[in-house]
Amino acid sequence: MHKPILYIFILLVTANIHAQQTKMSVEEISSFKLKVKTTAKNTKTILSNFTQYKHLEFLSNDIKTSGKMSFKAPNLVKWEYVNPFKYSVVFKEDQLLINDDGKKSDVKIGSSKMFKKLNQLIVNSVNGDMFDDSEFDTSYYKTSSFYVVLFTSKDKNLSKYIKQFILHFSKKELHVTEVKMIEPSDDYTQILFKNRQDNITLNDEVFTN
Amino acid sequence: MMRFLQISVLLLSLTSCTLKTTKGLVNARVVNNEYKNLYFSDISTDYVYKSKIDIYGNYFGGILIIKKIDNSHHRVVFTTEFGSKIFDFEFQNDTFKVNSILEELDRKIIVNTLKKDFQLLLREHIIVTKQYKNSSFDVYQSANKKRLNFYFINKETKTLDKLVNASKTKEKVIVAYKNIDTELAKNIVIEHNNLQLKIELNYLDNK
Repeated sequence: MHKPILYIFILLVTANIHAQQTKMSVEEISSFKLKVKTTAKNTKTILSNFTQYKHLEFLSNDIKTSGKMSFKAPNLVKWEYVNPFKYSVVFKEDQLLINDDGKKSDVKIGSSKMFKKLNQLIVNSVNGDMFDDSEFDTSYYKTSSFYVVLFTSKDKNLSKYIKQFILHFSKKELHVTEVKMIEPSDDYTQILFKNRQDNITLNDEVFTN
Repeated sequence: MMRFLQISVLLLSLTSCTLKTTKGLVNARVVNNEYKNLYFSDISTDYVYKSKIDIYGNYFGGILIIKKIDNSHHRVVFTTEFGSKIFDFEFQNDTFKVNSILEELDRKIIVNTLKKDFQLLLREHIIVTKQYKNSSFDVYQSANKKRLNFYFINKETKTLDKLVNASKTKEKVIVAYKNIDTELAKNIVIEHNNLQLKIELNYLDNK
């Protein structure tokens, strides 16, 4: 091979590697986990916009919805869709308070184990601290700007509905910037967080519905 | 007096046996023996609806997605607002397949009711066996196994405004189509007379 072509080839290959995700070392993983836990501990409130894409292989376009998410430590979460419809859910202890465009209802989470699990995952993924969940095998990767953690379902019941969770953490702030839930059929739900504000005052009234 | 009572009872039993749907309609000649329901017929459209379901006093919402994949072949998926699949059905000609359903909902009566409702909504080619009319509607009657389907076509707008599924004597399912944009019904309400089940669908523009 001619030298210039070889250089270009090497350049292309290494550029490609840089864009891809590489596995994190054992040391990197433990330091990363510690940093996420510390960040989560110091995060009293979060207010963030989000955009959700539902991907189904047979659709021409992903279904796009958007809204805002509020979190208050230790476990208050309000998930509010604004576009293209108004729908909000408050996660409160063992209850889900739903406001569907003015129509209110509540669901005892305890009535469905699977529902409880799915909701717990959403709440826990908000601040990223879900590494100790024994129902998943975890693997850790990094790219130039993100840490990427793959949670693969071990639990037989859960894996009927969710094959894998993928969380993206920004390298700088260690904030969750993306949550992807992949179903056994490879259809998925992807949630992207934007304009996140930490530790601003959020009154408890925010978490009513 | 006795005779009057007898006649009343006879009349009452006779009238209660006739179907409400065709009351006030007059018979008409079948002009065209095929009618096409085009509401879920376009392969390039993602039919995505915000859905509200009232069932026996319980209320829940979600997103209903209908997609025509091929001729007489549809996927029907219902998810929560968060995107978790509640059920995933496939209809191809007369075959019906459950790709997935949440364990709690996997009951024969629920699956059968949903299956029949969607078959009613998705049926595109309708064989007209009888025709009726009044001042506002042309009504096409079509056989649906042991039951009958009635398609109410608005004379002025030429749109399908109502679909009634009935036995010989009773209306079972009534589908009302509103906010119609040529071949797209943006508001659909499905009501059951023998079950406490009401489904309202509102179209979400998914482009």
